[in-house]
Amino acid sequence: MNHNKYFSIPYPILSISQAADMLDVNIQTLRRWDKSGKLKAERFSTDGSGPRFYHESVFTDFLMDNHKYCQKMAERWSVAKTPIQLPEAFYCPDRSVFQARLSRFELLLKGNLLFNQIYSLIVAMAGEIGNNSFDHNLGNWPDVIGVFLGYNLTQRTIILADRGQGILTTLKRFRPELNNHADALKVAFTEIVSGRAPESRGNGLKFVKQVVQENNFSLFFQTGDATLFLNNKSAVSPVKTGGHFLPGCSAKLNF
Amino acid sequence: MLIELKKFGVTLTSRDDGREALAAFKPSLNSLGPNEKIEISFDGVNTLSPSWADEFIIGLNKLFPSRLKLKPSDNLSVKASLDLLEKIHQIKF
Repeated sequence: MNHNKYFSIPYPILSISQAADMLDVNIQTLRRWDKSGKLKAERFSTDGSGPRFYHESVFTDFLMDNHKYCQKMAERWSVAKTPIQLPEAFYCPDRSVFQARLSRFELLLKGNLLFNQIYSLIVAMAGEIGNNSFDHNLGNWPDVIGVFLGYNLTQRTIILADRGQGILTTLKRFRPELNNHADALKVAFTEIVSGRAPESRGNGLKFVKQVVQENNFSLFFQTGDATLFLNNKSAVSPVKTGGHFLPGCSAKLNF
Repeated sequence: MLIELKKFGVTLTSRDDGREALAAFKPSLNSLGPNEKIEISFDGVNTLSPSWADEFIIGLNKLFPSRLKLKPSDNLSVKASLDLLEKIHQIKF
């Protein structure tokens, strides 16, 4: 079965109903945005009549500038039973695409005076979170392979999400006593996995914790029904969320 | 022997890439003298993550115990990654 048809846009244009579905707004809202100039649509005919459509690049720019919708899209993609389509610019189907986009993000940060002292920490954290998704789900992705990656330098935010197995399933392989997502999340962020453990990997989130707590950063992380908020004043105390169940992982990092 | 990490790339983040870097570099270590030190330079590296460093630097350290010398670096990701690896592996570079 080819899952690709579910999560990448097959053509460089979007119908108004596809755009509405991706943004989780109704078509009337998009018509209003078109008139106001918030998100300009194109028309198939030169006289301005005919159905509206969007060039994917215009749609992507809108999402880059309006991070609220980008964040909402990541959340919907990661929790939906049937994955929604994602614009290609936010979807990393494999590690090489993720690495390329991470390098571009690094260049943007490094070239910005606001971030050129701390950029390497931000990129290293994003790298650990994103690569964790690929490492821990290799051969075991439940449906869609890959990672959502979106960022906004004005909002000083990066979002990563996957539709993987989640931390509890991964950790249960060598910590079978774990029986809930909050405990698994706490272990992932606090317990150092020894080099003698079944696998040496698994310390990326400890690195993220260390960097967030030692700097003026914050992190919101969810897996399953557990969420964790972390900053330089908070301890690692995951709580059970009353919101959507997220089978994989999602992270929002503010820097 | 001096190993300049920038020759492996400037964004060194994934465990797979670190493992591959060490595997690719191993033949170059054949020319190492019996007591020769291995110096690692981080100059020119933009980002180093603990996963990459765990595979390459800790991997080298296992092959050549007590022969690694890490050159100082002002890069914050280098410092943070090495801090964590020292704690995990209970070693001091």
